[in-house]
Amino acid sequence: MASLIRSWIPLLILQSFLVAIAFGSKEAEEFSEALLLKPLPDRKVLAHFHFENRAPPSNSHGRHHHLFPKAISQLVQKFRVKEMELSFTQGRWNHEHWGGFDPLSSMNAKPVGVELWAVFDVPQSQVDTSWKNLTHALSGLFCASINFLESSTSYAAPTWGFGTNSDKLRYGSLPREAVCTENLTPWLKLLPCRDKDGISALMNRPSVYRGFYHSQRLHLSTVESGQEGLGSGIVLEQTLTVVLQPETTSVETNMQPSWSLSSLFGRKVVGSCVLAKSSNVYLQLEGRLGHESKNVDTEIEAHKLWKNADFDLSLKPDRVLRESSSLLFIFDIDKSSDSEPFDLGLTWKLPSKWSCQQAPLQATRFLMGSGNERGAIAILLKATESQEKLPGRVVTDGRCTIKANIFQIFPWYVKVYYHTLQIFVDQQQKTDCEVLKKINVSPSTDKVSSGMLEMMLELPCEVKSAAISIEYDKGFLHIDEYPPDANQGFDIPSALISFPSHHASLDFQEELSKSPLLSSFKEKSLVRSYTEVLLVPLTTPDFSMPYNVITITCTIFALYFGSLLNVLRRRIGEEERFLKSQGKKTFGLKQLLSRLTAKIRGRPIEPPSSDSPAAQSSFLSSKLIFKIILVAGAAAAWQYFSTDN
Amino acid sequence: MLADDMACNARNEYPAQVFNNENHKLNLYGDNVEVDYRGYEVTVENFLRVLTGRHENAVPRSKRLLSDEGSHILLYMTGHGGDEFLKFQDAEELQSHDLADAVKQMKEKRRFKELMIMVDTCQAATLFNQLQSPDVLAIGSSLKGENSYSHHLDSDVGVSVVDRFTYYTLAFFERLNIYDNASLNSLFRSYDPKLLMSTAYYRTDLYQPHLAEVPVTNFFGSVMETLHTDSVYKAFSSKTSNNKINSEMPLNQLSEHDELQKANIQNDELKTEKQKCPYTQMRVDLHKKLEKLENVDTVVNLGIAVMLLVVMVSSSLL
Repeated sequence: MASLIRSWIPLLILQSFLVAIAFGSKEAEEFSEALLLKPLPDRKVLAHFHFENRAPPSNSHGRHHHLFPKAISQLVQKFRVKEMELSFTQGRWNHEHWGGFDPLSSMNAKPVGVELWAVFDVPQSQVDTSWKNLTHALSGLFCASINFLESSTSYAAPTWGFGTNSDKLRYGSLPREAVCTENLTPWLKLLPCRDKDGISALMNRPSVYRGFYHSQRLHLSTVESGQEGLGSGIVLEQTLTVVLQPETTSVETNMQPSWSLSSLFGRKVVGSCVLAKSSNVYLQLEGRLGHESKNVDTEIEAHKLWKNADFDLSLKPDRVLRESSSLLFIFDIDKSSDSEPFDLGLTWKLPSKWSCQQAPLQATRFLMGSGNERGAIAILLKATESQEKLPGRVVTDGRCTIKANIFQIFPWYVKVYYHTLQIFVDQQQKTDCEVLKKINVSPSTDKVSSGMLEMMLELPCEVKSAAISIEYDKGFLHIDEYPPDANQGFDIPSALISFPSHHASLDFQEELSKSPLLSSFKEKSLVRSYTEVLLVPLTTPDFSMPYNVITITCTIFALYFGSLLNVLRRRIGEEERFLKSQGKKTFGLKQLLSRLTAKIRGRPIEPPSSDSPAAQSSFLSSKLIFKIILVAGAAAAWQYFSTDN
Repeated sequence: MLADDMACNARNEYPAQVFNNENHKLNLYGDNVEVDYRGYEVTVENFLRVLTGRHENAVPRSKRLLSDEGSHILLYMTGHGGDEFLKFQDAEELQSHDLADAVKQMKEKRRFKELMIMVDTCQAATLFNQLQSPDVLAIGSSLKGENSYSHHLDSDVGVSVVDRFTYYTLAFFERLNIYDNASLNSLFRSYDPKLLMSTAYYRTDLYQPHLAEVPVTNFFGSVMETLHTDSVYKAFSSKTSNNKINSEMPLNQLSEHDELQKANIQNDELKTEKQKCPYTQMRVDLHKKLEKLENVDTVVNLGIAVMLLVVMVSSSLL
């Protein structure tokens, strides 16, 4: 019996171990979706779709996913990507009206075209190869020409100017890339419910691409598990930000237009994605200053928040949150279905005006100079009205300063002279040491790598405007390197202006922040803004010149060799001489006769070849007749005179 | 391969939409379109690389042709062209001997079983003059010395939306439903030179099968409308009656909603008639119960643990 028990114990232990493994949960994959709607002060509406997918760390190498897209996890595994962001944008973010200080604009106001940056987890010598393979893989995945970023002339390795400080970071941008349905479709196919169910079913392509600004962004980061032997988890965040103009029939121009989901997108939400852990629609209204009461006690008070004198919501929100001056209404769409679609509408009853908070300095960039040889690039930073009210002013040595980081990439054919960098603060030129605290320059090499400039400026808080200018020479490209529409010009990618001492966050004081959208807003994100893309006209060759050169050269060759051969080899009248020498026996009598008459006449012997035989014969015949007549006349006259005797 | 971005062009009044007709009924740029090469990537070099399969190592699979000796390939080219050339991006040309050379390489490497080339440009038939490889069928919209014309102008969009040859090809396919077994011969004979204002010339000397025996679906595919039904097995028995409804009425009059309703009515009627086999009923009930359970994995794990316990108990008893 004891031996039996002893044999049982290891079996029991084994069994409990197995059971523990079976239950012992691995955390599961999570997917959540959210839509944030926000009316903007200039009569437009911002719609921000946010999808987050988390894959927990796991120790199996070829792991199975049931929510997380396999394409992304394979990408991360193959290229050892630690963090990556890829965005497709069309349109320009209007910082003046749409804001620049909130987390939404800092994270989603992207430069035009394609922007890609990635941090790798491979040895330093392999980072460039991994970047090249990553660009090719992404171009196949998203139907875009991201593979143009593979050549070393189109990407750069920023350091501290970019925000993420790593030496395995690579950044590239393609300003001229088009964005259309074929880029959105594979992006949506990464979601568990694709575009068939849930919030993503709202994305009517014509409505999305009719917007003033649309930007789809994919951000993935790996989360170290900290435990030995466990692989890292991946967090995939996909956002689509669209700024739309609702159609309005009202004539008054100072009233905000009323809209609903069906008028903006042409569709309604019919049910949430069943695979989503949380599925919410948020409506954020700014400029709602009111009493700071977190708990709304009476039923009437709560009702007044979403149906009042200013505006009306068509549906009752599930929750209402406040944060200094903005109101957030939360709607849970789990309850909606085919028979009761979710169609949120906002009707304005009174005209209202508000303004969005802007970044401390507003940045614009432009080209100076004319001609195809040289020029200058200037960045202008202007103070905005919200400058005084912002937190984050750093006081050093008794002076209040604003820090600004500027990061720029210059293609190699824009040969920048870094010694011509000039900084003007309030229209007075300052020496560099006063304002420029840190600078990192990576000069370009012709046809090999592009140039990079990172600067940190410390400007006084009361600054009204600051300008930075730098001169450049335009380079020449080989004829094969010109794109088909070379006469349009070449692009200098957007510069990034970031304010490291300012952090934007929106904290709605929610205790259970299980909404990924709100928790991403809560994190302090760097305030950043992108400038415009510059179009530089370079000297373009006349592309028809190869054809012209070939034609002219062939003509000259033909003329030269042709005339040379003619002069050397052609004899004029060769044919007549040949014929003459052949026909000499038959025409001897005629020639003798002409020679005799010529001798009588005393004329020099004409060479028989000077005249053509036909002319000669006609000439001879007329001469002969004339002579005969003359001789006959002379004979008749002599006869007449001689017979007179 | 699309050289220009037409659908999302800033000048397009109807963003993300490309129409083939002024009535704007059919949006050719649907929700699932995929464009592998676009913009500056559309070059003669890339085109020949796709055909012959000579890519760099890093090029992803979606940008490769990946065909083998059993594939049927349709190659459709349109744009501006002339005597033995086709224009690419206003900067380069594809010559007929380059195309013939690429096709010859494809045949040697056994990258296709049958290849159909359709060209819609001016003097299109000259582009496949130099072809010599077997199993290639080619049709061009006009002969040497003839121009190919566009069909009509859409004054809303501001450009001519479709060429004549393409318009009549699309019209032919829109007339078909899924039960027609149209052959390539009927497609080629549907081109009327008076309507096209040019002669659609095709060469079949390199193609062995008779055109009347080759169905168009050998080369052309279609987008199918899928109808969701809730029940799995009952749909089969109602399928025949559904099909009869479809073939009687022209397709463009039936809306999707109507079809669904009809299918539902059919299912309800059949439900009361059908006798349920007890075994299948039990399985269906069990399946439903399992679906309702949230965490099936724990149930399975529990089951395994219980089984192990039973095995140990039985082995210790023996």
